[in-house]
Amino acid sequence: MQNGKMQEHLQPLLASAELRAVADTIKDYAIFLLDSEGIVLTWNTGAQRIKGYAPGDIIGQSFTRLYSDEDRAARRPQHHLEVAAREGRIEVEGWRVRKDGSRFWADVVISPIHGEDGEVQGFVKVTRDLTERRRIEEQLRQSEERIRLMIESVKDYAIFLLDPQGRVANWNPGAERMKGYAPEEIIGQHFSRFYPPEDSNSGKPARELEIAASTGHFEEEAWRIRKDGSRFWASVVLSAVRNPAGELIGFTKVTRDMTERKRIAEELAERTRQQLAVSQLGLHALQTPEVPVLIEAAIRIAQETLKVEDVRLLGPGEAPPPMARTVPIHAPENGAHPHAVLAALSQQPLTANEMSFLEAVANVVAAAIARARIEERLRLAERRTVEERGRTEQAEAALRERDEFISVAAHELRTPLTALQLKLQGLERGLAAADPRKVQRLEGAVRQTERLSRLIDRLLDVSRIAQGRLELWPEEFDLAVLIREVADDFREPAAQARAPLELQLPEKAEGSWDRLRIEQVLVNVLSNAVKYGAGKPVSVKLGVEEERVRLAVSDQGIGIPAEDVSRIFARFQRAASIHNYGGLGLGLYITRHIVEAHRGTIAVASTVGEGSTFSIDLPRFSLTPAASRNKVRGARA
Amino acid sequence: MNDPGCDKTVLIVEDDADTSDAIAEVLEDGNYRPMRAPNGAAALDELRAAERAPCIILLDMMMPVMDGREFRAQQREDPSLRGIPVVVLSAHADAASYAAQMDAEGYLRKPIDLRALLETVERFCARDG
Repeated sequence: MQNGKMQEHLQPLLASAELRAVADTIKDYAIFLLDSEGIVLTWNTGAQRIKGYAPGDIIGQSFTRLYSDEDRAARRPQHHLEVAAREGRIEVEGWRVRKDGSRFWADVVISPIHGEDGEVQGFVKVTRDLTERRRIEEQLRQSEERIRLMIESVKDYAIFLLDPQGRVANWNPGAERMKGYAPEEIIGQHFSRFYPPEDSNSGKPARELEIAASTGHFEEEAWRIRKDGSRFWASVVLSAVRNPAGELIGFTKVTRDMTERKRIAEELAERTRQQLAVSQLGLHALQTPEVPVLIEAAIRIAQETLKVEDVRLLGPGEAPPPMARTVPIHAPENGAHPHAVLAALSQQPLTANEMSFLEAVANVVAAAIARARIEERLRLAERRTVEERGRTEQAEAALRERDEFISVAAHELRTPLTALQLKLQGLERGLAAADPRKVQRLEGAVRQTERLSRLIDRLLDVSRIAQGRLELWPEEFDLAVLIREVADDFREPAAQARAPLELQLPEKAEGSWDRLRIEQVLVNVLSNAVKYGAGKPVSVKLGVEEERVRLAVSDQGIGIPAEDVSRIFARFQRAASIHNYGGLGLGLYITRHIVEAHRGTIAVASTVGEGSTFSIDLPRFSLTPAASRNKVRGARA
Repeated sequence: MNDPGCDKTVLIVEDDADTSDAIAEVLEDGNYRPMRAPNGAAALDELRAAERAPCIILLDMMMPVMDGREFRAQQREDPSLRGIPVVVLSAHADAASYAAQMDAEGYLRKPIDLRALLETVERFCARDG
């Protein structure tokens, strides 16, 4: 038998204890000999471990039982031996079957053993169990597939590979959608065509690859070009891909279209810039009271912010130039009519944001104009107030000066008058019995000094009243008695004026008043009545009540016009013409103040041509008598 | 007070020479003996140097060197002068209150009425014995 012959031939090989020992120690490989027909001649430890057969189970059996049924049916074992015999070697991977029927993925190398005659005497078969490796490889394949599917399903990112030179190696749908190229159009093309010409001409794509290659990574946001030539703002991440040996095998490139995001960010930045500009203008408006300065600033800020050709302020009637976008400035008080128009001249239409910015600028200007107007009014009002206060102060100062002058003048006049009066009186006394004519003339001179003295007294009273220094020295006395005394003194002048006094007095009218001041009042009203009484009787009536006394002095004279009634009690005022009736016009002023200092009232009722009635109403006991007065009465001049 | 030595003497303390002259003249006409001092200080000197105290002092209020108020204060502190009556001469409407404050015997308002002056002077001189 050929089988026996071959076996014989293989004997030395089989007998080699050394070889056997080596083969037996190898556990990871099944190493065994087949004869030329494929009968198993030897079986090492590794073979037993991998395939499950003990040497006794398999030696002498055909190696075909190590194959699957399909492989056997396809005569694959025989084929492998034929190829190995013909080619000198065969290496295949495939499913093999263990003793227990389970399969494993095997890497099989079959090498022929030639006899001396060159004929194939048998085969060495080395089998490795690759099941684990195959499982890993399958996992890898599946995971790669998943990644591929994933990458292909990504629409928003362009994800593709570049070879180490920068040529496009693959292309996902996202890349197609973003850049417009179909895979067949772009694979194999250099990626620099995605760059704008200025970038690709300056060698930017190569620089970016270099950076990615050396640092592993390159990232940027920049303009990229689509197939149709349009630009988009891209976020690009370029990563180097290296094999386990560290050799650069290409790059992954992930690109995202950031155009919309960039637009939104830019719009946001622009809005922020505009708002900042408006707030700066507002701040400026607060610090700058001058409207023209603010308008200048508003125009400059609007122009700088909008980056338009020109910004102008047009007056109400001014027509805006063509291409101008305008917003009205509505200052208050102009109603529906704008104060002015803010016009921006721009080739491009302004966006809604830009228009609202322009409106905000116009509003700041309008507010500044409004503020300036209010401030102007405030200033005017303040100025008027100051002027009025100034006038009032001036008038008061003038009055004060006049009062002081009156006071000083009266005192100064009085000093020489004292001496003059005494000398005249002394002369009069000395001449009494001598020359009647000289005595008469002296008496005249004495009367004039007395009159001068009374005028000075009145001036002093006025200055005292004006300075609020009119003091009363009340004492208890009978007013009816005082009226009689004063009326007695008036008898002669009244007779001369043919205005006799007709008294209607009560028996008693006691009260507490300043006797000298009340006497002054009586003299005043009586002399007025006699003076203006036009030669008709003057009635003097006194009424007494529990709390008060009422004096009414009525003449039938020229009367006082209604328009003068209110001012006859004022200083230096006289109703009658100064040419016919002399005097300083102080009498009623002083009278009124004396009456009021007594907490009384004085009033006048008058009809022109029919006469006047002066009514004086005095409380009887509102003043406490001054004890000291009585003591000095006797020496009173 | 009833010192027989007063002898119709009247001290006029008045800074205005014309007024002082006029008063002195009418008093001389009435047979009084006027003494004159232009201010309070001079009046004190005059009084202390005089052989006899005057029956009355006619005292002006506003004077240089020493005014009427100060004179009156010093006069009242001096036991030898304290008893001489004082009548205030004042143009002021408040002459009465001045007189009261200074504890004077009376006052004469300026311009001075001759009759009132003579009556007042006579009243104080008549006390003399």
